[in-house]
Order: sequence, then structure tokens, then C-alpha cells
Amino acid sequence: MSGKFDIVGLVRKVIFSDFARGLAITLKYNVSRSITLKYPDDEKWVPYVRFRGAHTLNRDPSGKELCVACELCAKACPTKCITVIPEEDDTGRGIADRVAKVWKVDLVRCMFCGFCEDACPTRAIRLGREYELACTDISSTVRFKDALLKPQPIHEGIAGGVVAKARFEKTEAGIRVVADTGIIKKRAL
Amino acid sequence: MVTVKINGKEITVADNTLILEAARDAGCEVPTFCYQADLMGLGSCRMCLVEIEGQKKLQPSCITPVLHGMSILTDSSTVTAARAGVLEFLLANHAMDCPVCDKAGECELQDMVYKYGPAKGAHAETKFKFHEKDYVLSPVIIKNSNRCVQCTKCVRVCREVVGVGVLGSVGRGDHQEETSFLKGLLDCDQDGNCIEVCPVGCFMRLPYRYKARQWDLKSADTVCPYCATGCRMVIEERDGVVVRARAQHGVGVNSETLCSRGRFGFDFIGNAERLTTPLVRKDGVLVPSTWEEAVAVIKENLSAFEGSRIGGVASPRLTNEELYLFQKLFREVLGSPNVDSSARWDSSGVEAFIKAAGMNEGGVSVFDCMDSDAVFIIGSQVSEENPVTDYIIRRISSGRRMNLVIASPRAMKLDSSAQTVVRHNPATEGALLKAIILTLNENKLSVSAGINAIKETKLTDCVASSGVSLEVIKRIADGLKNAESISILVGTEFLRFPEGIDGLDLLKDVCRKSLGKKLRILPLLDRCNQRGAWEMGVHPGFGTGYRAIAGRGMGTHAMLEAATRRGLDAMYVAGVDIASMYPDAGHAREALSALKFLVVQDMFLTDTTRLADVVLPSSAFAEKDGAFTNQEGRVQTIARLKNPPGKAKRDGDIIRAIGQSFERSFGPDNASLVFDEIRREAEMYKEVSLVFNNKRNIDNKLDNKEALVKASSALARGFSAWNGGAPSSEETGDYPFTLMTGNHLFHSGALSSNSASLSGLLRAAVVEISNEDADEMGVKSGSLVRVKGMTHESDMKVIVRRGSKKGVAFIAENFADTPVNRFFSRGRSGARVSITRLG
Repeated sequence: MSGKFDIVGLVRKVIFSDFARGLAITLKYNVSRSITLKYPDDEKWVPYVRFRGAHTLNRDPSGKELCVACELCAKACPTKCITVIPEEDDTGRGIADRVAKVWKVDLVRCMFCGFCEDACPTRAIRLGREYELACTDISSTVRFKDALLKPQPIHEGIAGGVVAKARFEKTEAGIRVVADTGIIKKRAL
Repeated sequence: MVTVKINGKEITVADNTLILEAARDAGCEVPTFCYQADLMGLGSCRMCLVEIEGQKKLQPSCITPVLHGMSILTDSSTVTAARAGVLEFLLANHAMDCPVCDKAGECELQDMVYKYGPAKGAHAETKFKFHEKDYVLSPVIIKNSNRCVQCTKCVRVCREVVGVGVLGSVGRGDHQEETSFLKGLLDCDQDGNCIEVCPVGCFMRLPYRYKARQWDLKSADTVCPYCATGCRMVIEERDGVVVRARAQHGVGVNSETLCSRGRFGFDFIGNAERLTTPLVRKDGVLVPSTWEEAVAVIKENLSAFEGSRIGGVASPRLTNEELYLFQKLFREVLGSPNVDSSARWDSSGVEAFIKAAGMNEGGVSVFDCMDSDAVFIIGSQVSEENPVTDYIIRRISSGRRMNLVIASPRAMKLDSSAQTVVRHNPATEGALLKAIILTLNENKLSVSAGINAIKETKLTDCVASSGVSLEVIKRIADGLKNAESISILVGTEFLRFPEGIDGLDLLKDVCRKSLGKKLRILPLLDRCNQRGAWEMGVHPGFGTGYRAIAGRGMGTHAMLEAATRRGLDAMYVAGVDIASMYPDAGHAREALSALKFLVVQDMFLTDTTRLADVVLPSSAFAEKDGAFTNQEGRVQTIARLKNPPGKAKRDGDIIRAIGQSFERSFGPDNASLVFDEIRREAEMYKEVSLVFNNKRNIDNKLDNKEALVKASSALARGFSAWNGGAPSSEETGDYPFTLMTGNHLFHSGALSSNSASLSGLLRAAVVEISNEDADEMGVKSGSLVRVKGMTHESDMKVIVRRGSKKGVAFIAENFADTPVNRFFSRGRSGARVSITRLG
């Protein structure tokens, strides 16, 4: 053992300096803003636009389907979770006479890498901002074109990275937590 | 031989070799769009530009032959820059709609731009567009000219290989559009070879439109199930549905070509009307049943009859293995010698045909035949029955000097390639051949026994009955005399009218023995495995490998005859629609109804299955493994791509199940073991190689001789000659037309009727007459006429064919709603009809 007498250490012990420092952190968080969200009762996180959640299919401004069923997303997919079956339809449903008869994604297999988004030549497929994918029925993880073509709950124009007011909404599928993008607060992560 | 240096590597090649071929031989890559080995060189796409040292400008290597001492660079910086420049210009007006285009993923332009192209184009101008929307050229072909690279391969293949010339180039420069007159395909063969050669998505299959991407498809290397040319093709399926058939460049006798039946006729496989469950007749109605019950009913009923009172007819579209098992079932298990493989042809005529065509002498390659000095095509409507054989003949005959003679009552596409075209009366092939022999014999050849046989025959009689002028006959005879080697291509008319076969047999003897020529005979058959069926021994007169058998059985004719006389109790029919194919519909129906027990195995509910007591659902060529023997004797395997629909089974499994219900050890169990047994049983098949040779070669003459069957020495007893007698000469007053039948370009047999694409090309029967007759009657193509025969009459549209023999009417034999066999009656050779204009 060292023969030197540690006077500084002793003083620190006597005045409970470590204890006080620890308490200071507690005190600081006690008065600082909370980082936990009151989800789902009160608040819901709205992710950034770059977020990669469940897939969505988009339409052009005139409402035509952007997807031309080129199957590049299915080809690019590393987990082979996308199935596209094209068909011919020149009634103006899509931007070309080739449209998807079947566009199906199996979210259980999806790893949300976003390669499909990158491969898409018409920017029809986007990984959206939906992240509440937990379910009790595995069949509901396979999503089809009709559901994916519905407008997204959070508009593309909203940059995200905010917390919105949450409210419950009863649907046939169950209770959903809807973010009310009208009432938002900025919160640093 | 010249020696050239390519990228510093010395290589010796034959004179006049193209730089492109020399470079490819040397292992240097040269990209091309417009070059295709068997088409006329054009040098239009400029992708193959190479640098020749000492020459300032780059040269197109696909039309420049090598010179001795040339030093060629294929990958210098000038060349790569030129390639990128060419691609940039091609893309300047290219539609760039790859995501929509069906070709994406297998597009040559995509690959080239990926490999050689400029990363960026400098063209900012608005792209020139031929049209906004893809336009439909025909029920099977759709076109988008905006994607065209102006290689004109489609135009050249249409003219040089297919020989119809319906496509042409309109306009100049980048406004040049390869299309047809008025953007419709009126006289097109609808074979889609333009689609196959198109490097981009300009010509596309309409049935395959927006169905899949190339990477979605699971494929199997197989053989076309239509005619006996034996075209190798690849069929591709997505999610259990066969969506496409295509041929590969440099693979098989056909190389990249297929006909409309092969390319578009596969969709009978996915027809919703396929039988999917066994049916057993209970209280007079066919009701769905199980395999166990169906086989038990068959066993119970068949064992009640004596073997010789059971007959079997198997389709020449089954595989060799299945046909072998079929005849084994009859000969060894049921103890019946009555097996046959066709409802259309008389079995003794078949035997005489096999002898005359020398089919027991082993396989004859069509390329060897085309190497002869004189080629004589007789008794075949080759352009319609064997379209790809027609392409091969056209391609080779245009490339070398040869004497091509075509004898047929009907005009055909190949006539334009022939030196001599003969229009003889229908069913007078024998008289024509005898006239030729007698002309050859004028100088008193060393008299052979054969010639003695026709000593009594007068030349003038033969000439008169064939309806050909003496001058033409002399010209043919001279052509044969002057040729070193002769090939005779004989078609199915000899089987329909076996009276002509002895003439063929005699000509063979005269050419070989008296004139000492090198003679090859190639039978042109119209069912994919007709030759295989005979060689497997599905014939009442001989066994596997043309082996002599103890007692002669009954052929289809004899079986039906016996059935009406209650001399036959049961029949097992595998895949043949006797009721609508036998040339006397009423008799066939009566005979089949008179049977005590009829088992029919088929893919579809046909007229024959409706008469059956047990119906067994069988499978298509895409659903089984096995081998077909084509008309040349080339044994080629087919591969399984998918499973049969519902409870349907493979034909081999059905035959095996029936066999095993009698004898537990009936087998062997799978196709390859059966083929091993065939090798042991038939000497001809002993050394046949079943390995698909996929090697590509430059001139596309992929002639895989290892697959040809060998000569058979098993023929101990010899074949019986045809003794059916002379053709009946009847009063022709009321019925001025002789009715011919056969296959249509778009249709052959029951398969094509069940194909939606082919039915879209031609749905109902048409009667084809010559232009002379049409002018006399005042009808045009498309007019409605009434065809009246002695036993039947029917209304249909007329098609006028320029150059056919006057007084000849043709109706294809496969249409269910116009069964041409109702015009025929047994015991009378041929049928006569009258045609009257309606409306």
C-alpha cells in the first residue's frame, strides 16, 4: 500500500461530494424535459421522411398508379418478399398500359432495406412511415396493392422528426393509434 | 487459308471468313445487333466496327472478309469510343421504356449499353416517335417501333428463312420502320421468328404480353409436340402456367426458328377444359371417380375378354417410353397382337411406307439430305406440315446450287425455292414416280426385278393419270440422272394413299441399284413421335425395333371393322380421337359404340372419350419425361416442367398402373429405366445418345448425329408390300373437286384445336381451292361456300391459293365443328366434293 495520505479523498468523503454529484444528475433530469413519449395515450412519434417503414404505392398527381409492374423491386429484394404480376390495362389506370395485377409484400420477411425503393424507376414504391406492425394474426402481414395504394396517414410533405398528438381510432381491424399532425411538438432525440 | 493477327494473336482461318467470325474464333468479343450467321450480311448497325491497321476508317467486321496478313484490333480506344458512340445514337430515339417493355432483362440493347455504352447521352432533343401506342400486327404479334434499332433481322428472317416476306422496311435513317403493309399481317405465317430474332422489344408475343419477366420463369429444354421435325425448344412457366416457348440460337435442327404451332401452340397445356379426374360410366353417364376404381373397372372388364379380342390404339404423340410400355402391355400382359398408332392410316400401308422410305436403315439427317445434288420432295405439304423443315430447305437451297423438285397438287411457300414445281393430280404420286422411272428406263437400264414389275405399265397411262406433262417428267428424270447424290423427301400423302408407295420403292431401287446413285430418303411426318411409335413396335405387323413378330394383329382399320362385326370386345385408346380422325366418321362411331368396353386416355373430352366406359385423364408433353424420335430418326428427350392438373397422371404411369393390376412386376418404373430396356430390345436404339448437345456453332447446322437411330438388322421377315389395289376411278360429274386433307399451318390434330392462340389464328375450317377454280366460280378468299360430298355437306369460308392444281379442294382435318372425315367413306380411296357459292 502507498504510504501517502490522501487528504483530498478524505475531504471528498466527508462532504459526500460523489453523492451530491449523483444527486445533481437526478436533479437535472428531474427538471429537464422528458424523453419518453406518452404513447399511445397522448403522444405519437412521427418519423422523418427518410424513415423506412411499411411499403406504400403512390399515384401521380392525376391519380394514376405510378407502378408499371416492371418487377424490379421484386428482383432487387434480398429477401424475395415482393411479388408482382403485371397485366395490360390501357384504360388509364396507370401511367403506362402495363399495371400491376398483383402487388404483394410479405412484411414478415421484409428487412426494410429499401432496395425496392431504390430500384423503382417510377418512384411508385416508397417505404412509408408506418411502424406499428405488431400483430396477432400473421396473415395480416401480407399486404396487397389495394391497401398499399391508399393515401398515407402522414403526408409526404411533413418532414417528420416530431411528436404529434395521439388519439385512438376504432377500425374493423382493431384499435389504431392515429397521429394528429395538426398538433405537434418538436422534440430533440 | 489465310493468317491474320487479331489483337496481336495470330490465327489461321479459311478464305473469305468474316473478320467477325475470325475474331470470335480467336476468342475476342465483338458485339453485334444486325449480324446473324444464316442471314444475309448487312453491316447496318455498326456495332461490330473494328480497326484494321493501315486503314484510316473503322470497318464493319460482319461484312468484311479477312485478307492475308491483316492486323485487326477489336478493343482499341478508337473502337470502344466508336461503339459507345453508336449506342448513344441508337439511344437518341430509343423509347427507353424498359420498365414497361417485355424484353427488359433479356434485351441485347440493355446488355450492350451496360457493357459498352456511354454513361451519359448528349442528346437533349425530343425523341422521335413512330407512334404512341403499341400496335397489334396479328393475333400473336404486337409491335412497338419506338424501340427499334433498325437491324432488319426481322425483315431478313421473314424473307430468307420463313420465305413469306410480309415484313419490310419503310422510311430511311432513324425514321426507318420495319413493319408490314398497312400494319397488318395478312399472309403471315404467324411463326413469330421476327420476335425471336429481334434484339430489342420491338416485336413481341401478344399471348405473353405483360405476363412475366425473364427471371421469373422456370424453364425446361424440350422438343416441340406438333410435327415430326423435332424442333428443340425451351418452354417456360410462371406459377405453374406455361407462358412462353422459344427456340435458342444454334441449338437443335431448328436453331432459332419455330413455326406458329411450336411457338404459340403450347397453351393447350393450361386449357381449363383439361380432364382432371378419371371418369367411369355408371348407368350410362360418365361420373367422376378415383384412380383405384377406374383401374379396378378396367382390370375386371379386360380380364373377361380373350386377348385377341382386345385392341389398342396409342397416339404418336406419346413418348417412346410410353409407347413401348403400351405395346408391352398388349403383347405380354393382355396377350393381344392388336396395337396400332394411328387412326388415319392403314397399317399395311404404313409397313410398305417404312420399307420404301428405308426407315429401318437408320436415321437420315435433313442436313445430309440437303447436301445432295438433287432433292425431290413428293407427297408432302412441307410448308404447312413441317414448317421448320421448310425453313431448313429454303435456307440451304438458297445458299448452294442444287436441283430442288417439288411435286404436290397444292401450291406451297417452298415452290419459290424450287427449280421444278410439279402439279400432279391428288393421290397420283405413284403414277408420277412410275412415269419418272419409265423415263429413266428409256435407255434400258440394267434391268432390275423392280422394273420388270412395271414392264406392262405404259408411260402414257402414268402421264395421263398424274396430269403432268411429259416434258416436266423428262426434266425431273434428267435432273435425277445428272445428280451424283439424290435425296427424296416423302410425305404423308403416301400414307393417306398407299397406292403410290410401290412407285417410291421402285424409284429407290432404280436410283440405288440401276443408276448407282447415293440416295437418301427422309420421311416427312406430321406427328412428333410417329417414327418413334413405329420403332417402339406400336404396329400390328412388327415389334420393337421393326422386329418380326409371331402373329400379325389387327390395325385400326381392322379393329373397327371387327368391332362392327362383334369380333372385337374391348379397346384401349391412348390419346387418339378415333371418332373424329378416322376417315369415315360414321363407321368409326358405330364401331366404337359396338364395343363392349372402351377405355380412353386423353387430355380433353373428345368425341371418342364421350363413347368410352372409362376415361383416364392424361398429361401433356410439358408434364412428363421421355424421348421423341423425330422424322429423321433423331432421338431427343423432353423434360418435365410442371405437374399434370388435378388428378391427371402421366400416360406412362397410367399404362403402368393398368399393367401392374394384371401383373405386379409390370414395368420398368421410370422413363430412364424403360429407355434402358428399349436399348436392350431394339438394336437401333442401342447406341443412341440422349445427351442434348447444346453447343452452338457458326453455321447453325447443329447436326447431332449421335442422336440418330442406327440401322436395324432385325427385319427378318421383311415388310409386307401394299396390296390395296389401284385407286378407284369414279364418275366425277357431280363432284368436280378431289378433296384433300392434312394439316393446316396453324393446326394439326387435337392439340392445336385446344390452343387458344392457334384457334385465334384460325377458328373454323376453311376450304382451299386454286385460283383458277375460284375465278370460274367467281369467289374470293373469305366468301362462303357449301362443300357437298357424297356423305356429308358443310358450309365454310373459302381460301384461294394461287398456283394450286385445278379441281383440288383442301380442308384441314382437325376442326371439331367441321369434321372432314365425314366426307370420306371407307373402301373408297379419297373423296370427291362439289363446291357451290353461297350468297
